[in-house]
Parts: sequence; C-alpha cells; structure tokens
Amino acid sequence: MKRSSKLGLAVVAATAISLLAAGCSSGPASSGSGTKANPVTITFWGSYGNGGNSTQQDALNKTLIPAFEKANPGIKVKYTDIAYDSLLQKLTTSAAGGELPDVVRADLGWVPQFAQNGVLVPLSTSMSDYKSLAAKDYPGNVATNLYKGKYYGLPLDTNTRVLITDQAALTKAGVSAPPATFADLQTMASKLKGSGVSLFADSGLGAWNISPWIWSGGGELTNKGETKATGYLNSATNVQTVQMLVDWYKEGLIPNLLTGNKGATGTSDGLPKTKYATIFDGPWMAGIWSGQYPKFQPTYSPIPAGPGGSVSVVGGEDIVLTASSTHQAAAEKFLRFTQTSQFQLAMAKTGQMTVVPALAADQAKFATYYQVYSDQLKTAKSRIASPNQSKIDTVLSTTLTPAFLGKSTVQAALDSAASQVDALLAG
Amino acid sequence: MALTTTAGRATDSTSVARPGPVSPPRRRKRRPSATPYLFLLPGVVIFVVAIIWPAISAFQMSLYRWNVFNSQLSQWSGLDNYVRAFQDPHFWLSLSNSAIYMVATVIPQMVIGLAIALLLKRKSPSQPIFRVLFYLPVVTSWVVVSLLFKYLFDDSGLVNFTLHDFLHLESTNTSWLAERGSALVVICLLGIWKGIGWSMMIYLAALQGVPEALEEAAEMDGANRWQRFRAVTLPAINPATVFLSVMLVIGGLNVFISVQLITGGGPVGATDVVLTYMYQQAFSFSDFGYASALAVILAVLVLVLALLQLRITRTRDGEELA
Repeated sequence: MKRSSKLGLAVVAATAISLLAAGCSSGPASSGSGTKANPVTITFWGSYGNGGNSTQQDALNKTLIPAFEKANPGIKVKYTDIAYDSLLQKLTTSAAGGELPDVVRADLGWVPQFAQNGVLVPLSTSMSDYKSLAAKDYPGNVATNLYKGKYYGLPLDTNTRVLITDQAALTKAGVSAPPATFADLQTMASKLKGSGVSLFADSGLGAWNISPWIWSGGGELTNKGETKATGYLNSATNVQTVQMLVDWYKEGLIPNLLTGNKGATGTSDGLPKTKYATIFDGPWMAGIWSGQYPKFQPTYSPIPAGPGGSVSVVGGEDIVLTASSTHQAAAEKFLRFTQTSQFQLAMAKTGQMTVVPALAADQAKFATYYQVYSDQLKTAKSRIASPNQSKIDTVLSTTLTPAFLGKSTVQAALDSAASQVDALLAG
Repeated sequence: MALTTTAGRATDSTSVARPGPVSPPRRRKRRPSATPYLFLLPGVVIFVVAIIWPAISAFQMSLYRWNVFNSQLSQWSGLDNYVRAFQDPHFWLSLSNSAIYMVATVIPQMVIGLAIALLLKRKSPSQPIFRVLFYLPVVTSWVVVSLLFKYLFDDSGLVNFTLHDFLHLESTNTSWLAERGSALVVICLLGIWKGIGWSMMIYLAALQGVPEALEEAAEMDGANRWQRFRAVTLPAINPATVFLSVMLVIGGLNVFISVQLITGGGPVGATDVVLTYMYQQAFSFSDFGYASALAVILAVLVLVLALLQLRITRTRDGEELA
C-alpha cells in the first residue's frame, strides 16, 4: 500500500510536471520549406467568413489553396476562420502565448501596432522582390504596412466607402439623382425635414466614419508627416464641415445611431427600409442585401464632393508574416501567390476588391458597382498610420459626440481632439 | 485537511486517556499517509495554475508598462498604473456604473427571490413547474438573454411597441440605449430578471430548514403571519441571506457580458463598467499593465467588501447569541 502510494505520487507529480512543461514549451523548429513526401503546413488566420459568409471561405479552401498546393507540392496551407470581432483579441493572446500562426490576414489598422511590438517580419527586408510586388498595388494600401521605414505586410484586399442611396428616399426628397456635392445634400436636407426619412446615417464618429467628410470638406486630420494634429484637425475648414453635420443631427436629419445608440436601426436595414436616404459603406453590402433584401436596388455613387473634392477612406486587409513562423520561406511563397491575378480575381468575384489597379477593369465585369469603388479608390486616403489608431478612434468619438449632443461647441470638441491626438502621435 | 482532522482526533483520544488510572498500551504511531495529498494534488494544481498563478501574474503586470507580445521588453513603472487609475475620470465613471449595477440588482434579487421562495414553499401540483420556470433564466446563456434584451429595448423593439403603439403611453419611441441612465436601467433589469431564480433556489433550500416547531410555537403565542416571518423565519434563514448578499455583491461588481453585448460600454463609454473598461484597455489598446492594475483594484475592492459583509453579519450573530 505504502509502495503503491509512493508510486502513485510519483506518477501524478510526473504527469503534472510534464503537463506544465508542455504548456510552457514551444513547438519544434523546422525548416522553411518541405518536400512532397514530407510537406510543411502553413497556418493562416483570417476572417473571410465573418457574418456567415461562406462564399469567400469556399473560394479560398476549395479553389485557391488547392491550386497553390498543387503548384507547390511541399507546402500545405491550413486556413482557420475567426470572427472579425474576436480576431484582434485572439491574435493578441496568441502572440503573448507564442502561438501565432505563420500568416495572418490583418486589418490594415493593426499592422503598425503589431509591427511596433516585434510580432511581424519586415517583408521589405526579408523578401528580395518586395518592391516589385508592392509596386503593382494601390500606393495607399501599401502605405498602411509602413512602420519606422520598413514595410511589414502586403496589401491583400481593399475597399473604401462610397455613397449608397435608396431611390425611394430620393424620390421622397424630390430629386432624381444621388447628391453629388455638399450643396446637393443641403437641398435634400431641406426637403426631407419632417418627412420621417433621415438624410444620412452612420454608426459612429471614428476615423473610418468622419474622415471622408473632413477630407471632402477640404480639411486634414494631421500634417503630412502625421506628427501633429493641432492646426489641422481643429482647422476652421473642419469646424465648418463638422458643424454642417451637427446642424443636420440637431434637425433630426441624422439618427442617433451616429452618437452611439445601439438600439437604433442599423444602416444595412435603414437604407432598404427607406428610413435613411443615404449612407457611406463598402462593397460587402451588396452581398448582405442580396440575401436579406433581394428586391432592394441600391445606387452606388461617389462621396458627395465638398471644397476638397470627393475623397473617401481606404479600408481593407493586409497579409503579414509572423516573426514566430518556423516556415518563413514557404509562407513567403504563399504571400506571393496572394498577389497573383488568379488569387486577386477569384476573391474579387466573392466581394473582396483587388489591390492591383491593373485588374480593376477585369473586376468590374463581376459587378457594375465595383467601378464606382475603383474610381473612388483613386483619390481615397488612408487613416493615420499609428500604433495608437484604436485610441485615436476613441478620442474622435468621445470628443465629437458632445458636440452633436449640444454639450460642447464643434470648435471646442475639435480642439480637445487635436491635443489628445497630438499626445498619441508623440507616444 | 482530512489528515489534520485524523491527527487531531488521535491527540484528543490520547489526552483523554492520560488522566486514567491505567496507562493505555503503547501503540505504534501511524505514519501519515500520502493518499490524501494525492487526492488533493489535481485540484491544487488546477487551482494554482488557473487561479493563483494568473492572479500573481496580473499583479506583476500591473507594476510594468507591460508588453504583452514580448514581456522582456516591459518597463518597470512601479505604482504608476495605480496612480493613473485614480486620476482617470473614466475609471471612476466605470466604477460608479459597476456600483450602481451592484446596488440596483442585489437588493431586488434577494427581496423578489425570497418572496417567490415563500410562495413556492407550499406544496401544490404546479409548484415544480413554477420552480423550473423561475429558474430557467439562471441556466440560460448570458449571451442569449443579453441579445434578447437588446432587441426588446431596441428603438423599434417590443417594449417601445407596447408603450407607444399599443398602450399609447409615449408620444415617440424612447431610445433606451442612447443615454447612460436609461441604458443602465435596461442592463439592471436584465441582471435582476436573470438572478431572481438563483436567489429563490437558495432561499427555498433555507426555508426547508426552518424548524416547524418554532413556527407553531409562535403561532400558539398569538403571533400573526408577519410577526412569525420577522421573528422566526428571517433569523432562521440569515445564513442564506449572508451567503446570497456576499455572492451577489461579488457578481454585481463583476458585471461584464450584458454590458458588453447590450451597449458595448456606449454611448461613447457612458455605460462602461470596470470590466468593459479593463477589456478595452487590454484588447483594443494592448495596454495590459493598466488593465491589470484595474483588475487588481477591483479584486481588492471585492475582497474588502466581502470581508466587511462577513464581519458585520458575524458581529450581529454574536450579539444575537449573547
């Protein structure tokens, strides 16, 4: 009995120690590329299936990955889909635990943050052909990968926001065509007052939401070097532009969805239900509406032009290689594959716009609205490339909301935002 | 624990036997067995790995500008994160929201839970059905009921439909989730609705233990129903009340899922509670040092409150016993 107790103790202790050791140790290192008999597997995380979208995952898993594996017999690709809302959290905790995949499809706003923390491989250094690959993409998208003089990713897919309108609402406003300028919007505003139809709706006041207004209004968020916001974000031009929106909000022409009411009707429901006349949104909306509102026929047109022209904001994803990857050579081959017309056009067919302007004409054959997005992308700008991009979004929302609610002036709100953004850019 | 008890008993028996006229036969001292430790080991390992170690790590992280991606790059900051928290108005706002939620949900859960338990104490054919119905929200997923409440209190949800279109009590639809006050009301209502069943169950169990003889004696003495409840039932179920209040206060201060899903802490952070603010600092801003400091402050606050509650109730017990 005594002997068996001791033996049991030893077994339990050994098991506990080995379990702990297994939890603490990292996987075995392996060479960068495999052979047909002994292939390496690249792990790839993304959020193509967000919102239950199986089309994009199918294109990737059933067409593109098999094509890549056929052309590269020593390499297998294992794609894992993670909901967009939890991807950043999953990446953060996995990075902390040393369990990151080889390749990640990252929101372009996250790249500087991960680069700052040493999680990513600087591709402009590790890939000898990086320059020639990046030269084929939209410069605005390439710029989102820049951190302290090095590029940490390649553009994978892109999007921007354009004006989307509901013809029934336009008819109610007595106009036949979507508003092309700020002045057209003002005309619509006076006609829609009291009609129960909002002139414009959006779901927040972050950089993604407010930047198209500011740039089209002729203003800037920061100086060119993105080191200072004071004097730019709080300029008289921006005060005038934001005041225009605040006036519409106070007249009930913009719903409180803008100031954070989670119970308000979302833009994807409000537009087809003729509650909202216009919204700014991306190319993915077509897929959502075709399923939920098959009879709805949205009209896509450029962002209404102000004194600064029609300027929208660049969105999309970059593909990055993690520093912890033990299959870097194989992963780089996959990265190159994502830049081919085969990959870009196959994903464009499912709603992910190509980052290669030369393919825009081919892409437009899949859906007519793509042309509007491609044209808008020619003048679209990227948000501030900073590791503190999330904090900048929070600053913009928290300072601008009181101005819309009448608790501060637009000038005071923008002054406060500018000084807080200054501090974040300095940090 | 088991070993201590066994050893204690052995010592007691020896001391009792010592004054006797005949010395007991000298017994061979039993060597302590490893078996109890073996049974304890898995639980202790899990507790240390899953609770103690992360808690110590969180405290360690709170003393640094913590780099979650490469901990070796973290910079020592001493108590800076704590000083920052006490000077951060948004932390105080989130703490006040947590406190409001705690106060607004704990008392109704206990009072309504006790009332239902008293109603369901009597045996009737429908009693098991009602027990299940009242307990159902407790076992339902927080995610599901949070989303359900979000839809109910949507601008065009069932609540507004009832108040505006059906009962005509409102001239326009209320945006329940657009302002701090009304949004907190929605979150608190969910907390109360979901928690009543649990309080009811604890009280039901406690009520089974109230001696019928005491109730009968009080009745014989001419006590009416309210007097019997106040003088007999309430003191008898006091341990359950103490247990419930401690657990509900801890749970109330740790509210997270419902806030995250119903308002996301919005509009613009107005309904943030300590845990949603902590989550934002950690996972949106990667500021794990500050987030850990917030976690430590909350843990200390919960611990102090729980100890205070136990101390107050223990004193009262002591007085009653005296």
